[in-house]
Amino acid sequence: MKLGELQNMFAEALVRPQSIAHDGEWPARGNREFTGSSRLTPIGQLDVYREQFWLRHVACLAEDFPTVQALVGEETFAALVAEYLGLHPPVHFMLRHLGDHFADFLSTKEDALLSDLARTEWAYIDAFDAPDAPPLDAAAVAAIPEDAWTNARIILHPSVQLLRLTYPAHTLRQQFRETKTATRITAIPSNVIIYRRGLLLYTEQLDPLAFELLDRLAQGETLGAAGDALPPTPDLESKIGVWFAHWASLSLIARIET
Amino acid sequence: MNFRERHRIPDLGIGVGFRPKHAADVLDNGGSPDVAWYEVISENCMVAGGKPIENLARLREKHTVIPHGVTLSIGAVEKLDEDYLARLKKLVAEIDAPYFTDHMCFCKASGLDLHDLLPMPYTKEAIEHVVPRIKHVQDVIGKPFGIENVSSYLSYRSSEMPEEEFIAEIAERADCGILLDVNNVFVSSYNHSFDANKFIDTIPVDRVVQIHLAGHTDKGSYLLDTHSDHVRDEVWSLYTRAIRRIGPVATLIEWDDLIPTFDVLAAEAALAKKHRDEALR
Repeated sequence: MKLGELQNMFAEALVRPQSIAHDGEWPARGNREFTGSSRLTPIGQLDVYREQFWLRHVACLAEDFPTVQALVGEETFAALVAEYLGLHPPVHFMLRHLGDHFADFLSTKEDALLSDLARTEWAYIDAFDAPDAPPLDAAAVAAIPEDAWTNARIILHPSVQLLRLTYPAHTLRQQFRETKTATRITAIPSNVIIYRRGLLLYTEQLDPLAFELLDRLAQGETLGAAGDALPPTPDLESKIGVWFAHWASLSLIARIET
Repeated sequence: MNFRERHRIPDLGIGVGFRPKHAADVLDNGGSPDVAWYEVISENCMVAGGKPIENLARLREKHTVIPHGVTLSIGAVEKLDEDYLARLKKLVAEIDAPYFTDHMCFCKASGLDLHDLLPMPYTKEAIEHVVPRIKHVQDVIGKPFGIENVSSYLSYRSSEMPEEEFIAEIAERADCGILLDVNNVFVSSYNHSFDANKFIDTIPVDRVVQIHLAGHTDKGSYLLDTHSDHVRDEVWSLYTRAIRRIGPVATLIEWDDLIPTFDVLAAEAALAKKHRDEALR
């Protein structure tokens, strides 16, 4: 067997969730390619790698989504990971990206709490190692002409994550971190931001209207367009001013493009 | 001049793998006099920002840091990942590493990244495949590359030579360094019933840029390279044998699972220094 064929055979074996020691043609294929040892059959040798593949990837996702695992239990979590990896096998050299699609995958399970929780845990990971950005230059902001604000675009700090949740999953994550247990919570629509300031991560629940504005700004809308898209609200302009000052104080805003 | 002399490979003394769990001990409290340098996992430093990057910068302020990769996949038939190489080049330059290391194995196949150090068949075909890839990587990064022998749990019928001859021929033809993992030699020698001493005695000493030491786990029918325990006595003996052949060379204690407190890790480094000093007398 050529080098490439051998390596492809490895990949084919490793992604099988169950032992291949007694699985169909695998023992015969193992006998053809591997020597075995005094303690392991040829296919038993390959099965060591298959087992490690699953232990490693389940452990990786358990580390990234500990509250999801605590909520569903280890056995169900492992079964979910097996199904997930069948749909999204690892293709990036960094294990950091193994869970890229896990929340989307869980959203197919008709349990909004699970997918909300996965999105929340993933958001903390994205905020944790997002690029750094210098603080907003107050002098540059002060120099922006008043008539330029309508067309200004607000560039958020790269760590800012916006989550529109059906459940307050961030509170469940916090519960797990404090008690090492996770129990189902009641659905309460929640608009949450997660961000990093310095090296620390922060969480804040936003007023729905403020969240809507921030979300539009994050998507690149101008301040004027984002404000106009909000429903008619008394004192909207002054509210936006207050929100803006608050976001700037939290270092959520990296710069303003006019 | 031999490889180490040509590339001025430094004898760094005894180092340990830097792990986030020990950040306060190392970065805030000065580390330990028994730990002279640190290894980082290259891929962990390829994120965009935040604590991993901050820790690396602070570590580099006071110590020599050597990047050790786990996913280069030098032995794979799949194309080398040029994005990976660009990130590695940036990392090596940023921390001014004298060299970088990764494993003689494959990690990618069938378009997947399997995140394991999968063994190569020891064949002429594999040598012909790997040598130009190592040359390319070394050219791109611009620093010497040390290839590490892996622990293996499987042996191929197609292998045409022992592992140590396979590694030696690749290193000679690619003109690269060798990271000699003594624990991996022991684990593989047990799993495949070969003579670990012969491995140590065959490896070309002038190309060894670094030695790895670690603990492993007895799984009953095989030994597993878990980096989860103290270095075993049999591995210390092999290390002594290796040092007597190679001379003073940087040595690293790896401890990646069931990670102990920093003082336990530093004590293991001190023990490595004692073994190394005795072997060099």
